[in-house]
Amino acid sequence: MKIVVCIKQVPATNDAKIDPETKRIVRKGIKAILNPFDTYAVEEGVQLRDKFGGEVIALSMGPPKAEESLREAVSVGVDRAILLSDRAFGGSDTWATSYALAKAIEKIGDVDLVICGKQAIDGDTAQVGPGIAAHLDWLQATYVMAVEEISSSSIRVKRMHEDGYDICEMSFPTVITVVKDINTPRVPSLKGRLASKKCEIPVWKPNDIGADTSKIGLDGSPTRVIKTQPPPPRHTSTKKIEGSSIECAQSLLRELRLRSIV
Amino acid sequence: MIYHIQNKIYHVEFLPPKQDSEKLEKDLEIFSNKYLRVMDSGYCACITDNAMGLLSFQGTEMIEELDLPVIPEQVMIHLNTFHTKDDLDNILDICKSKGIRHLLIITGDGSERLPKLQPSDVGATDVESVTSVELLKYINREYPDTFVLGVAFNPYEPEEHEFEKMERKMKAGATFIITQPLIERNEVVDRLLKKYPEIPVIVDAWMSRKLHLLSEAVGYEIPENTEFDPISTLKMLHKLYPEYGIYLSLLGFKTQYDLIKDIWV
Repeated sequence: MKIVVCIKQVPATNDAKIDPETKRIVRKGIKAILNPFDTYAVEEGVQLRDKFGGEVIALSMGPPKAEESLREAVSVGVDRAILLSDRAFGGSDTWATSYALAKAIEKIGDVDLVICGKQAIDGDTAQVGPGIAAHLDWLQATYVMAVEEISSSSIRVKRMHEDGYDICEMSFPTVITVVKDINTPRVPSLKGRLASKKCEIPVWKPNDIGADTSKIGLDGSPTRVIKTQPPPPRHTSTKKIEGSSIECAQSLLRELRLRSIV
Repeated sequence: MIYHIQNKIYHVEFLPPKQDSEKLEKDLEIFSNKYLRVMDSGYCACITDNAMGLLSFQGTEMIEELDLPVIPEQVMIHLNTFHTKDDLDNILDICKSKGIRHLLIITGDGSERLPKLQPSDVGATDVESVTSVELLKYINREYPDTFVLGVAFNPYEPEEHEFEKMERKMKAGATFIITQPLIERNEVVDRLLKKYPEIPVIVDAWMSRKLHLLSEAVGYEIPENTEFDPISTLKMLHKLYPEYGIYLSLLGFKTQYDLIKDIWV
């Protein structure tokens, strides 16, 4: 089985600032990390490779510095990593990014499964995974919380949603995006970390993946950011439960039941 | 552990490099030098396990990767409950194969990135979360007669609760105790020593001049400018607790290491 895990390097903060001119996140001076949701994708890729054999490849698009996140993926067990990096990719929105990643996946060849984190914590769009599937014209399942079964030709997954879960069976090749319930990402070992420092990470440019340059970068990005603003504050209220500990527990249970939480 | 006390073997704590170290090779070299220095001194190297929840490399993998010598009486590995089952078993297997016998079993400090052992991982059916007690039981059951297991004692926690916990730790198979850092006589520790006269106790001596760093552990604010002489305090602790071992926290290898060699003779 050949698995590609798409990962992204993101700013290590939830307090990201937006450039008022470009309407884009200011990344300068902020420490970069591997998108936390992608750590679950990497772990799932490595676990599936360990169980079913084959190869798992980490793929990312970004500036040269994004190589750090690919090395982190190597340190926890992916077999090799590839970086898409070129000025021509700069300014790509989720559509153009997923196009470039899809072209890279085509170039890698014979890929059975693409795994992405459910979304990146900087953009929060959750569009790149589905975008890759759309560009490749592959089946997809988003918000996957468990891989139930894998055969030589198909995968069965449990897909989480607000009211429960769906069981989806898809034939290969396919794309899944995963949520954090799917596994517990491992911590890199010293051996893995040392190996990751030595591994060579090829950098692919648009020509290497046969990308149409009109479909990448700003030119290939239909998204226009007109305005950004923080989401409205959530309206919450606090209810104080009083009484003996037993009364409090009973009241709490009643409140939770009324809200269908338990 | 009695052997350590009778032979005046200091327990010297040091931390493996952090996972996000940007100068890993240098940090590995420093770790290796400290470790070898402790071995040469005949002391016991005590290697922490993701201390304060900060992601660090494991003591066992440091020893393995750096090919450091293991003298069984001179190595102690801390082991907490923030691991996957596979990692836990791997650490214990490496300890066994390398001849590392002394383990300090603690509940530990978690973090977002650290997995937590689940009760089912250690065969615990009667608890909701794994503490040092369940970990002790698991190790004693799965690795009988392999390790010498110690536990921590915190005299700054509510006293009766801490003694209750200690009783459970003892029943689970703990055979030595290491206290939280002391800087003076501590009545709660004195009570511990009386309660468990047969159990070897190692008193933790705080070796950093920055006494205020202890604020969180002791539960009250120590002003940042508080003057503190760790070497004098160490000597005092030897006088106060002459029959017990000493654990050196945050020992300065550059400035203090040569000073301690003539203290406990």
